[in-house]
Amino acid sequence: MTEHIFSCRGLTKHFVLHTIDGRRVEALRGVDLDIRPGEHVALAGSSGAGKSSLLKCIYRTYEPTSGTALLRLRSGESVDLTRLSDQEMAHLRGRDIGYVSQFLRAEPRRGPLDIVTRAGVSRGMDRSTARDAAVHSLRRLNIDEKLWDVHASVLSGGEKQRINLAAGTISSPQLLLLDEPVSALDPANREAALDLIGDLTTQGVAVLAVFHDIEAMERLASRIVLMRNGRVEMSGDPTMVLDVLTQGATA
Amino acid sequence: MNFDWALKVSGLGKIHGVPDLRALEDTGPDVGTAKSALTGAIVAAWDVGFEVAPGEALGVIGESGSGKSTVMRCIAGDQTSTTGEVLLRSLDRGRTNVLDLDPSARRRLRVADLSVVYQDPAEGLRLNVTAGGNIAEALTAAGWRHFGRIRDRAAELLERTEVPLSRMDDLVGTFSGGMRQRVQLAKALANEPPVVLLDEPTTGLDASVAAGVLDLIRNLLEETGVAAVVVSHDFAVIEMLTTRCVVMNHGRIVEAGLTDRLLEDPHHPYSQRLVGAARA
Repeated sequence: MTEHIFSCRGLTKHFVLHTIDGRRVEALRGVDLDIRPGEHVALAGSSGAGKSSLLKCIYRTYEPTSGTALLRLRSGESVDLTRLSDQEMAHLRGRDIGYVSQFLRAEPRRGPLDIVTRAGVSRGMDRSTARDAAVHSLRRLNIDEKLWDVHASVLSGGEKQRINLAAGTISSPQLLLLDEPVSALDPANREAALDLIGDLTTQGVAVLAVFHDIEAMERLASRIVLMRNGRVEMSGDPTMVLDVLTQGATA
Repeated sequence: MNFDWALKVSGLGKIHGVPDLRALEDTGPDVGTAKSALTGAIVAAWDVGFEVAPGEALGVIGESGSGKSTVMRCIAGDQTSTTGEVLLRSLDRGRTNVLDLDPSARRRLRVADLSVVYQDPAEGLRLNVTAGGNIAEALTAAGWRHFGRIRDRAAELLERTEVPLSRMDDLVGTFSGGMRQRVQLAKALANEPPVVLLDEPTTGLDASVAAGVLDLIRNLLEETGVAAVVVSHDFAVIEMLTTRCVVMNHGRIVEAGLTDRLLEDPHHPYSQRLVGAARA
């Protein structure tokens, strides 16, 4: 257990929709998953299988219904994310656990450099270190320097996605959750983004990612976890799981 | 992990009319009204509690009439409360219940311990006084005496809230709504209070002006490390400014949580309706 940086057991998530006669929707039905430092785990499965729900439960954007989710912090201490107070969770976010979604949150009057620098500062970096890291990351992701002080709201979807990725990866958390972080990128920029994500793994960051393309999984994943109907159906070597996937033999 | 609070509110309640506690039984979210049929009283707020840490912004969201402004006004001292405890770390290290203070002591708290930014700038500013004069009032209340230094500080604050210095000596009554709100922010922050309450700070402004004021507030909150309570009916405002929030309905808190969780996974039937309506 101690070698794992993250470990969840019996994680479930049920929604009760009061606006639709109290209907129950079971998004996760008991997920067990362990991740080691420097391991990149890709979640595969059809839409509705529970991939994003799992990421959101770990980040507490969804409140898990039952189960445990242990994360080893930078301090060495282990905490059960499902039991932390909201304030404690808010404090860990960005520092020990990162989440990069598909979309950039509305940032009306800030430019890319400001957004990414502030992300670093909010995670405890001093301003000049954060700025240097932001410059490095924006260059790496091919964000045109002419756009660095242009308000992000007017940038393209692909640019926003790269800014979001740069902000989410400016410091190295213990566990990084990625939800379709390259879905809007053209091939050249996608390459740059995948490179950056690959480097995090090399630096020892544990990554749990959802990509919709198999190529990204092949390239980055050290393990693929196949989800189906709110549970883990299969977990193993990428080649093996992808073989199963591409043969369509998921039944 | 231990989080020091700058503001701690517990058991806060306000009943308009007969202070008969039987009114609690036939009011609230489950009954669907704040008005008691039994006693005729209105339970504007009951059993409201939360903590806010330095550098943290907490949202209070709900529809008109949910009691969110009542809560803010009871904390600020604009309204008397029926019961409850409000502690400020800056007052006697948080050991004195603010609600027990006499009116003049409560007014003094508004100088440098607790600032309020109102939806209507006319409540927080004197419109027949200049922008610089309004800020000077806040500074002199805190003991500033030197004219030149007061002017320098006022100019610095106006610059920070993006009010052109050329307007410093104009009456606030001649300003646009967005500009008045910026002056109100400058005044609220003049004595660097550890706690700021913002009541619908961008409601009623044109969309583009509101966006600008919202960005300004967000920058100020990040840069000052103040503990903020943001009262709003607008999820976009709550989402932009806060990390945690409470949802109020018919005078009670029905749900509390991380802001993104409340938006994506609201539990209480009322929160689900509120989020559903905002997303529609």
